[in-house]
Amino acid sequence: MHIAQSLESIGFLSRFSESVLAYPIVLSIHVTDIALFGGMILMTNLRLLGLTFKGVSITQMVTTLRPWKRLGGTVQICTGLLLATSEATKYAPNPFFWAKMIILGLIGVHAMVFRPIVYNQTEQLDRSPVIPGKVQVAAILSLVLWTAMFTMGRLIAYWS
Amino acid sequence: MLLQNAFTDALSESDWAFALAECIHIGGFAIGVGSIALVDLQMLNLGMRHQTAARILRYTELWTVTGLIFVVFSGMVLFSSMPGVYLVNQVFPIKMYVLVAALIYNFTLHRKVAVMDNPPPLLSKAAAIVSLLLWVSIIFGGIFTGFLE
Repeated sequence: MHIAQSLESIGFLSRFSESVLAYPIVLSIHVTDIALFGGMILMTNLRLLGLTFKGVSITQMVTTLRPWKRLGGTVQICTGLLLATSEATKYAPNPFFWAKMIILGLIGVHAMVFRPIVYNQTEQLDRSPVIPGKVQVAAILSLVLWTAMFTMGRLIAYWS
Repeated sequence: MLLQNAFTDALSESDWAFALAECIHIGGFAIGVGSIALVDLQMLNLGMRHQTAARILRYTELWTVTGLIFVVFSGMVLFSSMPGVYLVNQVFPIKMYVLVAALIYNFTLHRKVAVMDNPPPLLSKAAAIVSLLLWVSIIFGGIFTGFLE
């Protein structure tokens, strides 16, 4: 709580949360980014599951969207940090916020586990006649984790 | 009618039902707008090599429609829980006009340009930028509906 108070009192962060427009503008960017960057994650996973984009190779899907997803992820982290630290004393006791952070950690674990065996093996996957089980597991877990992520994000507003 | 009343009662009594509708709303626009954005990216020449916007449209169309159906219906549930609050909101009515414009635009002009064989590059880019601006402003409108009265 001490840390939360000192964070909030940092000059530009307190001016930020007091501004009528700055907070909703940054939140809007954060949420718009869900649509742009979340939509790409969704489409990549649907491709891995063979549900759409069948005429596009997995390699093309993953490599084309990767730089966009990185940009989207960077925007998400920057806007998220600004939103959370500017109201740190509200976020610090909020269980949904911490649940969201744990899910974010799990998304990191997902990347560490599946990047070497799925997302970096796309050429091999494109040659495979069937979708291997590990690919289905990776795609479904990714969809579940990201759904949980935005759900927890929305629920943050309900804790008082 | 009974079903509609059951929904409305549940929502005003319980934040949880409202929260669930909000989550479906977010998931729906992530699918709907996210898939439209992939077509726009292709029209802006920032998408996949050796692919056309027409093909990307074909792959995403069903998902776009599905996402938009979810977003519209969950939005109606949210609205019906407190219509009075939304109707007098400064931002909400504008959001609705822009939404209607975006929906019409997406399935008429935008679609026409996306499926063209050799669209003039400027037309293609302009159509994509208009599409992105419309959808992004609707998301901003949704957030601002909650912040301004």
